[in-house]
Amino acid sequence: MKRYELLKQLARLVTAEDLVVTSIGGVKPEWYSLMPSNGTMFADLLGCATPFALGVALNLPHRRVVALDTDGGVLFNLGALCTVGKELPPNLTIIVLDNERYEGVVGGPPTHTSGRVDLERIAEGSGIPCTATVREIENFFESATKMLSDGQVGLLVAKIEPGLFKDIPPERAKESDGIEDKYRFMRHIEKLEKISIRPRYALE
Amino acid sequence: MRFVVGLPDSMLAGVYVAAEKDPDIRYVAVTNEAEGASVAAGTWITGGRSVLVMENSGLRAACEALARLGLVNGVPVTMLMGYRGDLGERFHWGVNHGMTMEPILKALRIPYWIIDREEQIVPAIGRAVVHGISSLYHTAVVFRTPLVDEGK
Repeated sequence: MKRYELLKQLARLVTAEDLVVTSIGGVKPEWYSLMPSNGTMFADLLGCATPFALGVALNLPHRRVVALDTDGGVLFNLGALCTVGKELPPNLTIIVLDNERYEGVVGGPPTHTSGRVDLERIAEGSGIPCTATVREIENFFESATKMLSDGQVGLLVAKIEPGLFKDIPPERAKESDGIEDKYRFMRHIEKLEKISIRPRYALE
Repeated sequence: MRFVVGLPDSMLAGVYVAAEKDPDIRYVAVTNEAEGASVAAGTWITGGRSVLVMENSGLRAACEALARLGLVNGVPVTMLMGYRGDLGERFHWGVNHGMTMEPILKALRIPYWIIDREEQIVPAIGRAVVHGISSLYHTAVVFRTPLVDEGK
């Protein structure tokens, strides 16, 4: 299963009402090319996608929130799964794109999931009620559809092949930096929720 | 919504308990301060108001998260912390917390106030929150004795 094919299926399930938080890595340009809306926060920190998405899900409990995390990202901060398991936000779905390696590093050295480490079992042991591991695209679509609609927090490990999608059309290439990404996401939330997050003048 | 995100410590022990009991506050206990910074940032950028409460040693654990969230994305985290390792520290293990706290705050260019009087608490936190909104960058308030219990 290739990441780009998986993300294409996910893009069928995510609506304009939903919010997505991504990890760093190849997922960013690929997801942006498929879903160039402002409903995604492209967080620029390993280990941040799941806890950041947890904060989003807790603050906006009426919205579906998807964390697009990675094996390297989850391993970086395993405690975050325990906090998710304690808080149990019913509107949060964590999708772990597990290619069993640090793809952005020269040579793509293996992560621990290439061995005996099983993120689904860790998630289950952390108290996350709905977990699964999928290896085929059909199974991914089926499991993701269920997790996004079952009204409980879930973690789906998707075992994917290494490799970046090389044929992103230039008009769909992500050129923004982290600051622009932040503003786009924040202004999107302001419109969606009809709130002011950063007023022109902050008052005590 | 209003959030207190925290990793319990002795100096601010009462704060975590009070936050958990307060019906107007959602208290989120985390497993380390880097995770806490990310949770707080996620609540903030979607319109919540949050603070990260921790011992000042947590600043070291949260460094990478704070650097990325602040310098790369510009999403603020307001931190409240006890001053372990202040002059007069009784515990040998706490001395290093004091040695590194201000250099780290300065290295990360985080504006901070160190306060020691009760009447400073509300205005200091208020200013830290406001400065977070206007600067879109982290802020900190550090509580020193006699505001915090240093232990015996």
